[in-house]
Amino acid sequence: MNVPMKRRGWITAVLAAVLAAATACTSSGTPAPRPNPTDPPAETARPGVLRILAGSELQDLAPVLEDARKATGVTVQFSWTGTLDGADAVSSGRADGKYDAVWFPSNQYLRLDPAGKSKVLSETPVMVSPVAVGVRTSVLGELGWGDGSKVTWAQIGDAAAAGKLPYGMSDPSRSNSGFSGLVAVASAFSGAQAALTEADVQKAAPRLKQFFTDQKLTSGSSGWLAQAYTRAEPGKVGALVNYESVLLSLNRTLPPEQRLTVVRPVDGVVSADYPLSLLSSAAQSERESFQRLTSYLLKEDVQKRISEVTLRRPVTAGAAPASELPADRRRELPFPGTRAVADGLLAAYQNELRRPSRTVYVLDTSGSMEGSRLNALKAALGRLTGADDTRGVRRFRDREEVTLLSFASKVKWTKTHAVPASGSQPDPQAELASINADVQSLSASGGTALYDSLEEAYRVIERQQAAAGDDRFTSIVLMTDGESNEGATDADFKRFHDGLPAGEKAIPVFPIRFGEAAVSQLQGVADLSGGKLFDGTGSLDGVFEEIRGYQ
Amino acid sequence: MGRRALGVLAALALLGGVTYALIPDDGPEAKKLVTVTGLVGSEKRSFFESPEVKAELAKQGLEVHADPTGSWTMSEQARSTPGLDFAFPASTAPAREIQRNWGQQDSPLVPFYSPLVVVTHAEVAQILRDNNRAAQDASGVWTFKMDQYVADLKAGRRWQELNVPAEHSELAGPIFVTSTDPESSSSGALYVALLSYILNNHQVVSDDAAVEATRPVLHQATTMQGGQKSSSDEPFRDFQAGVGNPLVFGYESQVAALVAQGQSTGDTVVMYPDTTIYSDHTIIARTDNGRKLAALLQDDEALRTLEAKFGFRPQARPDALNDLVKNTRQPVFAQNLAAAKVKQWQVPSLDILQKLTAAAKGGQK
Repeated sequence: MNVPMKRRGWITAVLAAVLAAATACTSSGTPAPRPNPTDPPAETARPGVLRILAGSELQDLAPVLEDARKATGVTVQFSWTGTLDGADAVSSGRADGKYDAVWFPSNQYLRLDPAGKSKVLSETPVMVSPVAVGVRTSVLGELGWGDGSKVTWAQIGDAAAAGKLPYGMSDPSRSNSGFSGLVAVASAFSGAQAALTEADVQKAAPRLKQFFTDQKLTSGSSGWLAQAYTRAEPGKVGALVNYESVLLSLNRTLPPEQRLTVVRPVDGVVSADYPLSLLSSAAQSERESFQRLTSYLLKEDVQKRISEVTLRRPVTAGAAPASELPADRRRELPFPGTRAVADGLLAAYQNELRRPSRTVYVLDTSGSMEGSRLNALKAALGRLTGADDTRGVRRFRDREEVTLLSFASKVKWTKTHAVPASGSQPDPQAELASINADVQSLSASGGTALYDSLEEAYRVIERQQAAAGDDRFTSIVLMTDGESNEGATDADFKRFHDGLPAGEKAIPVFPIRFGEAAVSQLQGVADLSGGKLFDGTGSLDGVFEEIRGYQ
Repeated sequence: MGRRALGVLAALALLGGVTYALIPDDGPEAKKLVTVTGLVGSEKRSFFESPEVKAELAKQGLEVHADPTGSWTMSEQARSTPGLDFAFPASTAPAREIQRNWGQQDSPLVPFYSPLVVVTHAEVAQILRDNNRAAQDASGVWTFKMDQYVADLKAGRRWQELNVPAEHSELAGPIFVTSTDPESSSSGALYVALLSYILNNHQVVSDDAAVEATRPVLHQATTMQGGQKSSSDEPFRDFQAGVGNPLVFGYESQVAALVAQGQSTGDTVVMYPDTTIYSDHTIIARTDNGRKLAALLQDDEALRTLEAKFGFRPQARPDALNDLVKNTRQPVFAQNLAAAKVKQWQVPSLDILQKLTAAAKGGQK
């Protein structure tokens, strides 16, 4: 409902701007109506507005950007995406003309691609935050780490390998904080003296694998990771790999027993420097807006304010950092210098190093899915079985257990596939092809027994866990295009969920809204299970891919 | 309504004098000014954005639109961007490439220059001095010992092998200087060229055999840095934020500008490599307006003073910078590089320089 209204809003705004510009040719000039910072970026450029594709953590800059607007007349309008997805959008040219600038925690990954590099005209780091490990104070004491100021990656690795440091880290294929954390541990564990090489990654693999056995939370974004930490059972998660700024900001809202001590390992960190980056495709008037905004953001007093508001570090020597930020320096671990090393590290993480996943897809194949909807579902899920995925951002991973559950008035069928490790016989490709065959066999008919089918997914997982006796990242994706109209009700499901053992209660459900899906039902399921609602009404492809970061 | 139509309307609106309504607090009236558009190395961005510089140029009838970018990528952008009046990279080599792309023959102006330096923190400079890697003369000027540095690079020497106080745990891993990407930024390319000169027994590399002989160390010095930034502003910003490598290769002007403008530089120390190179800021004018700008930057007395204020040494009055920074105790700037025993050398030919940067990056070019 909201979407078309909003769209009409900006079309009106653009038309008004054009009219204002047109009348300005003959009269002495009427000011254009003020653009709204919370509006989504328009398809076409507009003087005084910078359309920026950015990482969602920059939402915390809103008060600073509002001041910037008053001082410079430049309104920033954001579109949010992950750092690595954003790099893809720039490299492929999808950002050309649609955005004037990009603003991610880091351009390191973007810069490794010659096509991406040539799309950026100018980059200005605006603030800095190292990726650190936030350790719950009680855990810090148990590990004998004092105030946390002398901890090394080796100690962190040993604690995790011994199961004493259950932690959360965002998906490195999606999120810069996860990627930076992965680079840091791979550097430390390989003993690499300089930038990582492929040989270093291989050398570090056994210790990395041990380290990742204690990773209990994963996430497609650093923001959701912080939320998941807050709602996890006490004691289940003792640490978070995240930006220093996110950890310190989180502490401002957490009860004392949940607060995190920020550990910047003494043997080195990887820092994000948030370069505001002008795209080569931007027009002259936007280039000027960009320059006005960057000069404003680099002023000493503004830098001080940025640091106080966001708890990131200023990039101007004269600006004082926020008082929470410790002044002692850390070695900066180099970022990989080639795409081959970076992508190799990501693929190794997904397919060899991380704890494997158990993923259940609960798919609505009721009568209303017939035709283009079912075709869209088949295409989107089918893409997850493709092999053209150099950094493991999309496809089902080696060692992943994938269950498809097709339902309408009742569960029609359930099929489970275990993708083997690479190098085994048959190889992962054969199993991926077999998953795709099941996807393509989906057919639509019947009603929508949403909650009955979701309950069945929990029972499937329970049986799988009992049979395998393993410990996997476990999650459920629930895709529907309608409202539950048969079987259990939302109240029934609530009772069912309340009665689940703790381990199953913690399984997040990621509902996808599609067609005429009942948003309130789906949001209820997401909230109850600690999942997150995704909107597939625009593109089912993009949503299935995005959810991979949470699985 | 197509993008182009909207752009045209917006442009008309700007010409019609709406600038004032849309963009408050900005600049003098547009009607008398001629717009000059060009690309500049990112180290000159704040110069061209300064209200004082804009006012002085406006007095001379010019309004300059300068897009900051890496000096090497500038040659590509100069080729692909229509309507440019000038390009202003940070050294002669990319300037020659742009001239070649634009089919120009005449010798371009070099209104100001700046020596390449190694920026570090005060305590790190002292540790380097105590380990005979750096020196400070009686006037307080720091020099960085290039031969010793290249020997350390070749040996893969680590900070842990030097005498480093225990509280400096951030000084770990191999000793190296961070530069920008030599394929996109001229300070990075000049870093590679400087190493090649030292490696080639203090001779300018002039043939393929010498390129081959220097290749292993150049490649090592580059790959060990991992991902490199594309313009000199970025590593210096990280340095000011207290992150990144403690040794950063950059322009004297980056630090001098802060001092000349009375801003804090924290504990920043400028070390002059005992063998270094100047970055000759070279302006390639393509149009009459571009030529007018070039002449003003070289000859206008008020602009020269402003150039010094932004840390550069004006060609026609090199002391202008010293007058602004001579009373600062830290960082200390060398008034006279020869007196500070800093040797200079010549940049290799463009062809050789490209071979050297390709060797440093691993041969793909």
